[in-house]
Amino acid sequence: MRDPIDRTARGAALAAALLIVSAVCPVSGQVPTEQGQRIQTVVIDPGHGGMETGAKGKFGNLEKDITLAISLKLKALVERNMGFEVVLTRDKDVDVSVESRSAIANNRKAGLFISIHANGAVQKKAAGSETFFLSLNATDEETRRLAYLENNSSALQSRIDPSSDNDLMMILWDMAQTAYIKQSSKLAELVQEELDALLGTRNRGIKQAPFKILAGVACPAILVEAAFISNPEEEQKLAAEDFQAKVADAIYRGLARYLRIPE
Amino acid sequence: MAKKKKARKPKPALVLGVLSVVLVVLAIIFFTGGGREKVERFIDANVPKTPAVSEEPAATKTVTLFFLDDDDDFLHRETRQVAAGPTAAEEAERALAELIEGSEKGLLSPLPPQTKVRQVFIGKDGVATVDLSRDVSEKFAYGSTMELAAVYAVVNTLAFNFKAVKKVIILVEGAEKETLGGHVDLTRAFLPDYSLVAR
Repeated sequence: MRDPIDRTARGAALAAALLIVSAVCPVSGQVPTEQGQRIQTVVIDPGHGGMETGAKGKFGNLEKDITLAISLKLKALVERNMGFEVVLTRDKDVDVSVESRSAIANNRKAGLFISIHANGAVQKKAAGSETFFLSLNATDEETRRLAYLENNSSALQSRIDPSSDNDLMMILWDMAQTAYIKQSSKLAELVQEELDALLGTRNRGIKQAPFKILAGVACPAILVEAAFISNPEEEQKLAAEDFQAKVADAIYRGLARYLRIPE
Repeated sequence: MAKKKKARKPKPALVLGVLSVVLVVLAIIFFTGGGREKVERFIDANVPKTPAVSEEPAATKTVTLFFLDDDDDFLHRETRQVAAGPTAAEEAERALAELIEGSEKGLLSPLPPQTKVRQVFIGKDGVATVDLSRDVSEKFAYGSTMELAAVYAVVNTLAFNFKAVKKVIILVEGAEKETLGGHVDLTRAFLPDYSLVAR
């Protein structure tokens, strides 16, 4: 009987901690207006690659090829129009582990992280585009991590050396995204609005999911699912270069609005 | 004399015979009885979850499984009977095998049909560890939506049907894996998510 009471108390403590974290974060120098000045590097992550093909289409198109094509187009747009350095987590058809992708973003001090995917489902009718940000599947273990995060937000902001052997640092690194949920949510919302406006695909909205690629990234981070490769109609759109360019343009416009840069 | 001797001679043989029969019976009781005790001790020592035999007189348990429908993104419930006992972990293995086997009402399975349930372990801390064969990540080319459905069909099936299960960890071929197909983080324990289930 002691345990449940204990847990309730801990739950309340977590809720309080979360409130404090979300209240404190924007004040500590992460306000949207300042972001444009602070960001120097945008990391774009073309989903999958190499042996890991991602979802497959009926006509033989592979998610990994489409994500790379869109990513290269987005890179060109951001470099040309925003003047940021753009780093791709892969620029050819190779295997890159999910952990390495977040590590690339953190090592290169990414100010924004965009993972690009095309969706797949067992239902042939499934269609549309959506944008994800990280959901915190809060468990007791996470409660402790969040508590640690809250007490050490300055340590997070000064950025952690990913090669550090310090266990506490590694734990913190592992959940780095928890400090950026609010910004990531805003970024997802703006990008999704542009996808909806430009692509003409069904608007599946913004969603939260426990995606590995987002969890370890220490900056606002989203995962875009542009249309369904498992839907034959949308597969053909995804394979077409003009549609790929539209996806890149929509994401670019969403970024620009987030950074309050005139398009 | 001869008559008396003849009459006495069978007596010790009879006694010996009776004695040997008694001995054999005792020996049988000793060995089989002792043997059973040893087997019971063996079970106690190696299976932490005690089989609740007396609490489950029924031979079957009704479980709720979660499948996909062609018309929406939600998980849909379907009930099924599985053999009951002796442990919750074994019932959980059977429930997951049914989930992989697929729907009886024409719903879609979110997991590759080749997948085998290697083992389910339910810890005292409420964490169920599910070990699936490598087919679960190799036989499907997952998109995000599909991978979320696959993971939460497993997690919800366990948490919904087994009171002892609060969280679920998914292993592939006995080892921790980053993701099934590049999306959902398998390195952390999952809480069930019933927001994905149709009303």
